[in-house]
Order: sequence, then structure tokens, then C-alpha cells
Amino acid sequence: MRSTIAGLPRACTAILFARISASTRTRLGIVFITAAAVLFPLVNGNDADIDAAANALAFAALALGLNIVVGFAGLLDLGYAAFFAIGAYAYGVASSWQLQPEWSGFWEPSRWLDLVARYHQASGDVVHFQVSFWLMLPLAAAIAAFFGVLFGAPTLRLKGDYLAIVTLGFGEIVPIVARNTPTVTNGAMGLNGVAAPQFFGFDFGVDATPYYYVGVALVAFLILMSVRLKESRVGRAWMAIREDEIAAAAMGIDRVRFKLLAFAIGAAFAGATGTLYVAKLQTATPEMFMFPVSVMVLVMIVFGGIGSVWGVVVGALVLQILQSWFLEDLSQWLHALGRLLSVDWLQHVELASSIELIFGFILVLMMLYRREGLIPATRRAPGLSLVEQTAQVARGGFARLPALIAPDGRAGGPLLEVADLTVRFGGLVALRSVELSVPAQRVVAVIGPNGSGKSTLFNAVTGLLPVHSGSIRFAGQEIGRLRPHAVLERGIARTFQNIRLFPNLTVLENVMIGMHARLGTGPVGALLRLPANRREEELAREQALEILSLFGNRLLPRADHLAGSLSYANRRRTEIARALASQPKLLLLDEPTAGMNPAETLELADQIQSLSRRGLTVLLIEHKLDVVVSLADKVVVLDHGEKIAEGPPAVVRQDEEVIRAYLGRSAAFA
Amino acid sequence: MPRAGYRYPRESGGPEATADASAILDSRFRGNDEVRATATDLLEFRAVDTHYGDLHVLKSVDYRITAGEIVCLLGGNASGKSTTMKAIMGSVAPTRGDILYEGRSLSGVSTAERVRRGIAPVLEARRLFPRMTIYENLEMGAFTRRRGPEFDEDLARVFALFPRVEERLHQLAGTLSGGEQQMVAIGRALMARPRLLCMDEPSMGLSPAYVEQVFDIIRTINRQGVTIFMVEQNANMALSIADRAYVLQTGQVVLSGPAAELRETELIRHAYLGEVKVV
Amino acid sequence: MSDYGVLLQQVVNGLSLGAMYALLALGFTLVYGILELINFAHFNVFMVSSFVGMWALGLLGLSGQGQVLTGLALAGTLLFAFAVTMLAAGVLGVAIERLSLRPLRGVRGTAAMITTIGVSYILFNIILLTVGAGSQNYPNPLPVVRWQLGEVTVELKELLIWGVAVVLMVALHLFVSRTRLGKAMRATAQDAEAARMMGVDVDRVIVTAFFLGSALAGAAALIFGLYYNYTSFIIGYTAGLRAFTAAVLGGIGSIPGAMVGGVLIGLIETLGGQLIAVRWTDVIIFSILVLVLVFVPTGLLGRAAPTKS
Repeated sequence: MRSTIAGLPRACTAILFARISASTRTRLGIVFITAAAVLFPLVNGNDADIDAAANALAFAALALGLNIVVGFAGLLDLGYAAFFAIGAYAYGVASSWQLQPEWSGFWEPSRWLDLVARYHQASGDVVHFQVSFWLMLPLAAAIAAFFGVLFGAPTLRLKGDYLAIVTLGFGEIVPIVARNTPTVTNGAMGLNGVAAPQFFGFDFGVDATPYYYVGVALVAFLILMSVRLKESRVGRAWMAIREDEIAAAAMGIDRVRFKLLAFAIGAAFAGATGTLYVAKLQTATPEMFMFPVSVMVLVMIVFGGIGSVWGVVVGALVLQILQSWFLEDLSQWLHALGRLLSVDWLQHVELASSIELIFGFILVLMMLYRREGLIPATRRAPGLSLVEQTAQVARGGFARLPALIAPDGRAGGPLLEVADLTVRFGGLVALRSVELSVPAQRVVAVIGPNGSGKSTLFNAVTGLLPVHSGSIRFAGQEIGRLRPHAVLERGIARTFQNIRLFPNLTVLENVMIGMHARLGTGPVGALLRLPANRREEELAREQALEILSLFGNRLLPRADHLAGSLSYANRRRTEIARALASQPKLLLLDEPTAGMNPAETLELADQIQSLSRRGLTVLLIEHKLDVVVSLADKVVVLDHGEKIAEGPPAVVRQDEEVIRAYLGRSAAFA
Repeated sequence: MPRAGYRYPRESGGPEATADASAILDSRFRGNDEVRATATDLLEFRAVDTHYGDLHVLKSVDYRITAGEIVCLLGGNASGKSTTMKAIMGSVAPTRGDILYEGRSLSGVSTAERVRRGIAPVLEARRLFPRMTIYENLEMGAFTRRRGPEFDEDLARVFALFPRVEERLHQLAGTLSGGEQQMVAIGRALMARPRLLCMDEPSMGLSPAYVEQVFDIIRTINRQGVTIFMVEQNANMALSIADRAYVLQTGQVVLSGPAAELRETELIRHAYLGEVKVV
Repeated sequence: MSDYGVLLQQVVNGLSLGAMYALLALGFTLVYGILELINFAHFNVFMVSSFVGMWALGLLGLSGQGQVLTGLALAGTLLFAFAVTMLAAGVLGVAIERLSLRPLRGVRGTAAMITTIGVSYILFNIILLTVGAGSQNYPNPLPVVRWQLGEVTVELKELLIWGVAVVLMVALHLFVSRTRLGKAMRATAQDAEAARMMGVDVDRVIVTAFFLGSALAGAAALIFGLYYNYTSFIIGYTAGLRAFTAAVLGGIGSIPGAMVGGVLIGLIETLGGQLIAVRWTDVIIFSILVLVLVFVPTGLLGRAAPTKS
């Protein structure tokens, strides 16, 4: 009896939850949070509390910005505070009494635009900068973004931990420069007289409340931007780069461009926040922007959940509130306890100043025990029904191919021509004067013993290895010097011998990344989400599902599962689906049946066959020679980097040279 | 350094020299090991399965290697040969089945302990320590052993097998050619005074001249009493010196038997140039 | 003093500083060579050790600048102080490895590095909260003895620094080139998997690297205190930046590189401070760090290039 009554509330909430759909729940949640945020200063009139909340919001904005760089794109930036400083000083200098150049006609148009004012002084007229706060918000963001590109351009090709060190360097250089250029920044004493924002005649003054509301609006806007970017082609490109740069490049993503974009947008978030922060404080000193600030923002996103938009906001708010409210209160309580127990040390402890010690522990403990943070970025997928879990081997290939997989126009002529190709790496000649021609709409197999250069050939064709000499022509055009993403754009897609999927992204997201080069939504489109962009995204999603459905029950029920959780064979199939999504004309498959049992091998062979009949050209590396015999129109044999045989499968199989290559030369003595 | 009056076997020495030396060295080998009948298996795989994540690599594999034999493991690409070596050395643990050495299970035995018990590897692509000298590389081979007269003897033996090594003791290993590195790699393994030498693709990347030298040396070492288990791609050469062979295909043993027999049949060719059997 | 004399004096000063930075950089590079891990905590182990050194000297009754010892008493005191400081530093380094880094051994990416940032913070703040932010007077038992060589003055404490640094560097060199464990360390740094196949206990090698590296930091810390006569919670950052740049400049992972880099950075610091301005030395050193990583990532003597393929 008692248990039933006690269980009533839980039962009610469970029913309530089940009745309301997820999206409605989200909307209700957002409404609730917005209401709470708006009503907060009206409920709690204490200016100090509101000020603390405004600070918390500023750091939430910073966390959102760093989340884009570290969480989405996987670039560890330890000097993020530099962009915060740049935005802050930009506004500070543009609206304070710091700079007072002599008046001249040059400033007249700016005065007309109300950006500057003319002040009379005994020594002569001077310029007073008074750029509007509202104008400065986006302007500072742009200036910070510019510096993001400036810092990023030479450094983004460095490996993870080295990039971190370089960004740390920049993060330290900026405040030191600020400290040592007092004419511009007033050095360590800080800018004075930074103007408070004005809103239609209302001067913000020193009251915290208006800044709080601006902070709410800024954070809300940045959350919207983050979510829109994450769920767009741009976000997927960033996450692909984070998961596996090489695969990302092979799927058509211009790594340099997108890394710079992440850096720039992250910097822009910090720049705008800097403006708000300085406006509220009405001063800016170098100490506000040093390494501990960068670390604090990093701790916030690690704590909240790297990559999760709401997670990092929660992390930032919790840690800021911890610092300003909770620890203060706890210290007071400990003081009282100390007085009660007559313990001197307790009476003097100040927990708020030990916040950095707490940050250190948070970093260590989170890394050791919960790397995904409070609110993980990836959600757990629903379980599969029994029907969905079983899959029958289906012979005969793909029943119906989606329209997007279309044959190349030409027929018969060579689609890929490799001539006199020589590739070196590690001091060895990996390929020597290899000549290969793949006729359009045919299947050509490349075989050869271990280390003969097959994968090297693929890497050279797809731009992952530099070509020492020789030419690679695709559809009549030279592609030997192109970077990997450009090769994909031309119409060559590949899979990898060791399977390079994006393990922390879903199967569907993996396939949609394959479409990257065929979609057009950039950062602007992602942010604005115009009808055209939304249509493109929906269409892309449909097409990706269609491609997944080619593999029947194996992939489609797992569309929302993380790719890393799939079985080996299914991961292979997902990789092939991803390659198909890019609408290739030439498909390069590197050992597609490796790890599959005989039945699955034949199933895949049939599927490749049906792709070929549809008009796709296939170049495949394969060891199971029966598969090769049944599939390939032509076989090319490599040994020690050279082509030693070429021809129809049955002939090549009997070729003496080939047999010797595989089985080795005979012994000199028996 | 060679001691006066002690004749070491030359690389392609005549029968007498080899017989003398191997008889002397033989007894030193069996030194502190328990005396076992020569018919005992030195190494045995019993229904061993291994997995790489969810990928099933070795499938219920059985090998038996008797002391004194040269056994080679053949197979095409991705057949499980390297995994076999890793399982013997302890880098990979079987998910099912057991590996026995000298009759005792190797389950839970560390790599260092396996080396101490007498298993030494010659790694795929040599993997010498590039910025250490040849001498230091050889020293590392004897890492699990104490220094003393036995170390000097083994060093002398390596010099006898590879005279050019002695000339260039203080050259950095990274500056050697592939073939020279292979010699040093074999020497390094011999410095552990192993009973069982596991060689992973000793002929890979070597010119034909060096391949012959290497196989020559393998024969010599075997005559000195070391059992050899060798993974090889070059089936013809391997079968010319092996006593027995196993052929792996996608993780399963599809052929096994005396090397001489396997050389004559077409079956090896079929195994390499593969047949996919539908169950 | 003529301009030339001033410069020469700065060279002498720079060499002393350089010796200290070299020791600190060596410890850092030892760990990097094996684990390819940038251990931020190393520099605050240095800072904590300087306090340990102060405490050790205090145990012998020394505090402040008052007392000066000579001869055997001095030698014994220094020996004791170095021994205690280096041992404590080594133990701290091993504890950090065991507790916070070993569990992350297999995790790819920057998780381990982020953890070292956290540990660094913890050490820094523990000292800040217990000792406070002020500089602490370092006991200095060394008599003030100066020698005049032309325009240049050399002090006893500088000779001490060079002596200690040279002894430690020679000892380290002998350790890695002559001892079994030292060679195992080099082997592991070059090919950990092959080393394991030779029977090397890689865990033990890693612990040794952390112990030795941290002990060198401890020696550098005591040298810092004796040279500057003060210590404070912030020296981990200031000296650490320089030592880190030294390691990178010399070629990260390379032992001779750390030695060369340390001396170079010491000279750059003193000469840069003299010729440009002291307040810009941080920027100069950070700039060198950034420029080296961007343009010459292998450093002067290093091998592995930290760029993606």
C-alpha cells in the first residue's frame, strides 16, 4: 500500500514524459529556461548576485566559443583568452579616453557617423573615440576572427599537442604585449573610462542588470549559432576532421579551410564576449586575459562535456556560480564552524581563492574517470529489436540503386590512366614506373604479395602521397598534384584497408559526410538556415538513408548508432556506403572483403558487380583471388612496386611470373 | 673473442667443422633446461582463437613444433601469420585455446619471462634500435640475461656467423642496409640464447643475394640446435629449408605436412592464389 | 665597465642560467622521448622542489642569508640538500605518473596532456594556498667569493652551478649509455614495441624516466634558490617557459638537444634583456617557441617532425 502511494509521483512523471514527444519536451524546456533567465533579476534584486550571473554568462559564451574549436573541430587551443583580450581591447580603445590623436579633417566623416567626437583641449582639439557598443559587438568579433585566421594559418597543420603549445604561446604573447604598450592599452593600470553602452538614450551605467540581459541575449544567440553549425554540413565537416583527418580529406573536406573557419568562429565568439565583459567592467587590464583564464574556459568545457552545446553552458554556469556563490557561502559556514570549535585555521579559510585548485582536480578527475563530461555530446542509441539484429545473406547484388549513383557519360575509353608513376617514401621506391589503365564502367583488380605497393598506388591516386614522377589522368585531366579533397570532388572515392570511419559519429552522419563535396551549405547558410539550406539538408538525409538501405537490415536499423560500435563487417559496409554517397565515377576499394566470412564475401562481390553494371568504374585491391576472378574484367599484378603482369583473371592466375611473385623465387639449392 | 683451439662453424662450412661445433654447443644449450626426450613438442598451439575487436583473426589453430625442427608458416596476405608470432611472444592473448611451451601453458606469462624461458623473436622489418650501435643492439638482445662468460660466448658465436658485424660494431644500426640489418636482427635474437627462434618474414625487402645468405644462416643456426619457427611469404625458399610447414588462409590452417611433400603439390598454389569455399 | 665588458658579463650570467635551464629541460625531454607526452606538471614539480630544498636547508638550521659555511660543512650541507631535494622531486614525479598518467596510457589524443595541466594547477595552488604569494627568502650558506677576470666577475655560486650541472649531465649521459636500465630507456624511446620484445619492462622504464627527470628538476630548483636567493610559487611558470622553449629549440626528445637548448636560452635571456629590455624577454622567448614549432619543428638536434602526414 505504502509503496504504491510512494510510487505515484514517479508513475505520474513517467506517464507525462511518455505522452509528450521529445521535441515538445525540448521546446518546453527552452521556454522554461528562458523564462527563468528573464525573471531572475526581478526575483533576486541583489546587484552583486546579478553581476555574478552576468559574469557567468560571459564565461558561458566563452565556453561556447572554445567548444567550437576544441569540441567540434578537435583543435586543442590553450591560448583562447588571447581572442577574448583582442575583443576586449578593441572595444576598450574604441570607446574610451585612452587614445587622443590630434584632430584633423581626416576624422570628419567618422564624426559624422558619430564614431568619434571632437574635444577642445588647451593644447588643441583632439579626437575622442566613442564607437557604439552595439556596433562594436560584431566589429570586435570580426577583428578577433581576423586574428584567429592570422594565428591559425601557419600553425594549424601541427600535430595536436604541438598546436596546443603554439596556441599557448600566442595566448601569453597577447597580454604581455598589452602590458608593454601603454600608449594603446595603458599597460598594467588598465584602460580607464571605457564608455558604458547606451540603448536608445538609456545609459547602462554601473548597474549590473542591463549587462545581465545583454549577456542572456548573447548566450542565447551563441547557443543558437552553435546548434545550427553543429547540425549542418559545416559541423559534420569539423567533427570528421576531429575524428580522422585523413579520412575527412579523402571524403572531400578541405581541412585547411575548415580548421581556419573553426578557429575564426571560435575567436569571434570570444571577441564579442570581450566587448561585453569590458563594457560591464568599464576597464581592461592584461591580468584579465592570462593563461589561467584560458585554462578556466578549458576546465568548463571538459567539465560540462566537450562537444556538447548545452553541456559546456551548464559547465560554465556551474563553475562560475560555484566560484562566486557557493564557495563564499561554504567559507562563511566554515568560519562559523571554526568559531564554534575554536579552530583557528577554519576561521580563516577562503575557499573562493582555492577555486583554481578545484579546477585542477576537476581536470584530472574528469580526464581519468569521465572524459565525456557531465552532459556527453553523443547520445546513446536505442536498442535493436530481434528482427533488426538478424540479417540474411542476400545474393544477387543490390536490387535497386538510387538515382544518385549514375554512370559516367563515356563508355569504353579509359577513365583512369596512370603512366610511368614513381612514388618514393621512407627512402624507398614504393612504386616504380607503374603504368595502369582502368577502362570506364569496368572492374579492374590490383593484386600482389605483401608490400608490393597496392595501397601506395591508391594513396598516390587519391592525393595522399606525393607523386615523384609520372602522371595520373582521370577523365582526361591530370590529377597527380591535387590534394585529397580535390580528388574526391573530381569523382574518385575510396575505402581504406584498415577502415577509417568516424567512430564517434553515427552511421548516418558518416554517410552524410560522404556527401560533403556535393552539398553547398557553408557557414552562412548553416547559420541562417534558409529554406534552400533546409531543403538541401533534408534531401541529403533522405539520400543517405537510401544508400544505407542498400545494405538492407545490416545498416539501416543502425543509422543512429555510433559507427565505432558496429561489427567489423558492418563498418566495412558503412565505409563503402560513405564512398558511394559522394557520387563517385570511380570507386577505389582497398580489400573490401577482408575479415568477412565466405558467404558475406560473395554477397559483397555480387553487390560490387551490380554497381559495375550500373556504370560505376571500380578499381579494387583484393586477395581472395576467386572473388577477383568472378568480378574483374582485368587484373594487374604488382610486385615490389612494379607491374609484372596484366590481363584477364584466368590468364594472370596461371602466369609464371605471378606465381613466382607470390610463392617466392626457388632456392638456389634444393 | 674466439678462444684458441675452439673452431667455430663457418657460414658455409664443411661437415666436420659444423658437426664438432654443434655437438659442443648442443650440450651447452640443453645446459640448465630439464632433459626431455627429443620427441617432445617444444611449442604447441591448441585450438587457439584470437580476436581483434570483433574481428576473428585466428580460428581454432593447431601447431606443433618439435625441438630441433625448422617449421615454417605460410600464407597469403591477411592470413594471420603475424598474429601467430604476436601470440607466441605475448603481445596478443588467445581468446580461446592455449599455447604451450615446453609443456607449460604460456597463459599469463609476460613477454620478458618468455624470452627468459628461451623464446626469442626476429621481428618483421627487423626493427633494430636505429640510434643505437650494432653492439648495443646485440646487448639488448641479451637484456634478460646476466653478463658473464656466457654472454661473451654468444657474442663470439654471432661474430662467427656474421663476420661483417664484428667489423662495424660501433656503427649506428639505422645506417645499415636492409640485408645488413637482418643479419644484426638475427644476431640480436641469438644473444638471448634461445631454444626457439621465431622469425617474422626474414626475407622481406631483401635482395635475392641476401635472402640466400639469410636462409643459409637459418640452416646453420638450426644445426647448432636452435628450433626455428618461421613465418614467410616466400614459400619456395621457406619450403627448401623447412622440415614441416603449415599453410594459413584467413586464420585457418588449410594445409600442413612435411615440406618436401608440400613443395610438390599444387595445393600450396591454390591456397595462396586463393579459393573461397562457401560453407 | 665598457659595453663589451657588460656583454661579456651577461654571457657569463647567461651560461649560469643556461645550466639551470638545461637541467630542467633535460628532465622534460626524458619523458617526452619515451612517451611523446608534454608533461606540464614537470615545471611545478620544479617549483615545489625548491620549497623542499628550502625546508631541507632549514632542517640543518639554515635560514635567511645570515649563516655562511665553508669547507667540509658547506660540502656536507650542499650534498644533503641536493640529495633530499632530488629524491623528493623524483618521488613526486613517480607519484604523478602512477596516479594520473598510467591510467591514460592507451588513450589517444591530448587527454594525458590535459591531465598534466590539471596536475600542474593542483601543485601550483597547493603551494599558493599554504605558503602564500610572497617571495620566500632562500637560505644561502655559500660564502660570497668573487674572481675578477678582466672586465668580468665570476662568483662562487656560479662555479657551483656549473659544477653541479656538469656532474649531473655527465652522470645522465653515463647512465643512458653505459647502464642496462639506461640503454633500456634509449631502446624504449626508439621503438617501445621492439624493446618489449627484448624483455624490457616498459613500465619500469617509464617510471625511471619520470624519477630521473623529476630529480633533475629538483636539482635545478635548488640551484635556482641558491642563485637567486629566493623562491616563490610562480617560478614554475617563469623558469618553466624558458626550459620548455630550450627543450623544443634543442630538439624535443633529444638529450644533447636539451643541453644545447638550455644554454642557448640562458644566453638569449641575459643578452636579450641587456640589448632590448627585460620586460620583453618573455615575449622573445615565446616567439622563439612559436617560430621553432612552426618553421623548424625538429629543433636543432631532434629527429621526429610533429606534423601530420
